[in-house]
Amino acid sequence: MIEFVAPPASAIATRPGTDLIRVDHLTKDYGRGRGLFDVTFQVKRGEVMGIVGTNGAGKTTTMRHLMGFLKPDSGTARIGALDARLDAAELKRHIGYVPGEIDFPDVGTGTSFLRLQAAMAGLDHLDYMNQLIDRFKIDITAPLRRMSKGMKQKMGIVAGLMAKPQILLLDEPSTGLDPLMRDTLVEAIEEAKAGGATVLMSSHVFKELEDTCDTVLFLQAGRVVSAASRSMFEANPREMFAIRFADDADYRRFIAEPHRVVGPDRTVGADPVTHTVTAYLPEGRINEFFSDLQGYRVASIQNPRFTLEQFFTKVLSPQVLGDTTTPAAAPGPRQSAKAAA
Amino acid sequence: MFSLPLLKQSIKANWVLWAALTAVMSLLCVQFSAMKMTQGMMFEIYYGMMVVILPGVYVMVTANKLLASQVDRGSMAYVLSTPTRRGTVVATQILYLIGSLLLMFAIPTALHAAVNAGSPITYADAAAHVTHVVTAGDIVLVNLSAFVACALMGGICFMLSGIFNLSKYAIGVGGALVMFFILAGMLAMFGTMGGSSITFLKSFQYLTVTSLFDYKSILLSTTVWLPKLAAAAVGTVATLGIGSAVFCKKDLPL
Repeated sequence: MIEFVAPPASAIATRPGTDLIRVDHLTKDYGRGRGLFDVTFQVKRGEVMGIVGTNGAGKTTTMRHLMGFLKPDSGTARIGALDARLDAAELKRHIGYVPGEIDFPDVGTGTSFLRLQAAMAGLDHLDYMNQLIDRFKIDITAPLRRMSKGMKQKMGIVAGLMAKPQILLLDEPSTGLDPLMRDTLVEAIEEAKAGGATVLMSSHVFKELEDTCDTVLFLQAGRVVSAASRSMFEANPREMFAIRFADDADYRRFIAEPHRVVGPDRTVGADPVTHTVTAYLPEGRINEFFSDLQGYRVASIQNPRFTLEQFFTKVLSPQVLGDTTTPAAAPGPRQSAKAAA
Repeated sequence: MFSLPLLKQSIKANWVLWAALTAVMSLLCVQFSAMKMTQGMMFEIYYGMMVVILPGVYVMVTANKLLASQVDRGSMAYVLSTPTRRGTVVATQILYLIGSLLLMFAIPTALHAAVNAGSPITYADAAAHVTHVVTAGDIVLVNLSAFVACALMGGICFMLSGIFNLSKYAIGVGGALVMFFILAGMLAMFGTMGGSSITFLKSFQYLTVTSLFDYKSILLSTTVWLPKLAAAAVGTVATLGIGSAVFCKKDLPL
C-alpha cells in the first residue's frame, strides 16, 4: 500500500566535488525583518557545511525550505536536479532529517516509533539502526512521553541517520546532548561523510562545527554574512598574535602609527580595556613583526588558536552589528576564506 | 495512495478514544433497545441525541490529532521526512477518520439489529398518527443517515485541522462548531416536541448539520431523508477536499 514511484536514478546523482545542494536567491519574508533574504549558497557533494547564526537568523527556515515544507517567496532551493519543494517526496528517499523541534507521534514506546519510521522510509535492514541505538545508549523500550530532552534528541538522530541517507539535514542536532554523546554524534557525522554523504547542519556550538565542517556559513538576520572554509579557522596557530601593551598610551600609539606587518588590514581585534591588539600574520614575517614592535612597551605576546568562535565573535559580529570597538575590518581572514572557497 | 505504516500510527495514537466512545455508544444502544422501560425513548434519546453527540466529540478530537496537532507539535516532520507525499498523508488520515467513524456506527448498528430481532420496537409518531414496527433495514438506514451527518462534522473538523498550523485554533473553532451543531439540534428537537410557545426553536434546525440526519423520515417511509443524506455526503467530500488541498499547499513549520 506504500506509494512507490522510483525516481530517475540520475535525479540527485552528481559527481563528487560538484554542487549537490543549490540555494539560489532564496527569499521568504515573514515581515518585520524576519525570514530569509536573497540567500545563496551551494554545498558540494560529499561536503559537510555548517550554518551558524544567532536565534532567528534563518537557520531553521533554510532547512525547512530544503525539506520542501516551505514555499519560497522567490528564489529556489534545489537538490541535484530536483526542486526541494516540488519534488519533496522523491527527495526524501535520499535525505535524513533531524528537526530542530523534536516531538514524536503518539505511538507509545521508542521501539514502535522507530519501527513505524523504518517502515515509512521503506527500510528493510535495521542493522545500522540497532548499531546507532547501542552507540547512543538509548532505552527504546521507554514510553516516548517520559523521555528526557536528551533522550528524545538521540531518538531523533537515530531516526534521521538510520537509513544511511546520501544527504543529511541536521537542525541543531546536538541540542540537549551531553559532551560524550556530542562526540558520538560527531563520529556518526564523520562516518556519514566518509560514506560519501553530503551534510548541512546548523549549530550554536562552534567546537562541533570545527570538528566536522568543511565550510561554515554565517547567517545574520536572514542574510548570508560570510562563509569560512576549514583552512581559514584551522589556520596555523603561529599566525595569530595577541599583543598586550603596557599601557593605554602605547596601545593608542601602536594603533595610530603605520607598520610594515601589523597594519589595520591585518588587525582582527583591538581591545582598549586590556590594551590588546590581535593580528593575523602571514608566515615568515615574524622578524618584521618584531621590528614593528620596537619602540613600544609590550607586556605580553600570545598566539591563541584562531578558532571559528573567534572568527564569529571577533571578526564577523563587530562588522555585522556595527560594533565600533573594533576599528579595523578583517580582510585577511576573509581573503583566505575566498581563496579556499 | 495510502500509507500502511501511517495508518498503523494513526490507529495506535487514536484507538483509545475510539474504543471508549464506541463502547459507551454500544452500551447505550443495547440498553435502550433491550429494556422495556427505555424502549420508548430509543429514538428520541439514543438516535435523537447520542448518535450525534458521541461521534461528534470523537471526530472533533480525532480530526485535530490527525493533522493540526501533529504539525503544531512537530511530529509531522517524521512522517514527511520519509518519501510519503502530503497527498498520501491526508488520504491516509481521511481513511482512518471516516473508517473508524463507520466502524463506530457499524458495531451498535449490528447490536441494535440483533436485539431488535428478539424484541422489535414499535415506533409511534403522534403528530403523523403512524405506528411502525422497526425492521433491521430501518436500523441500517437510520444509522447510515446518522453516520453521514457525523461524517460531515468530521469533514468540517478535518478541514480546519488541515487549514490551521496551531492545534488550539483547529480544536477551538472545530469544537465550537460541533458543540453549536449539537446544541442547535437539541433546541430544534425541543421545538418539535413542546407546546406552541417554543415552536420558534424549530428554526434552529436550519443552523445545524445534524438536521441532515432524519430518522423520522426513514421510519415514516417518506423520502426527505435521501436528499438530506446526499447533501451531507456532498458536504463531507467538499470539506475533506478543501482541508486536503490546503494541507498539501501550505507552509509547514516543521
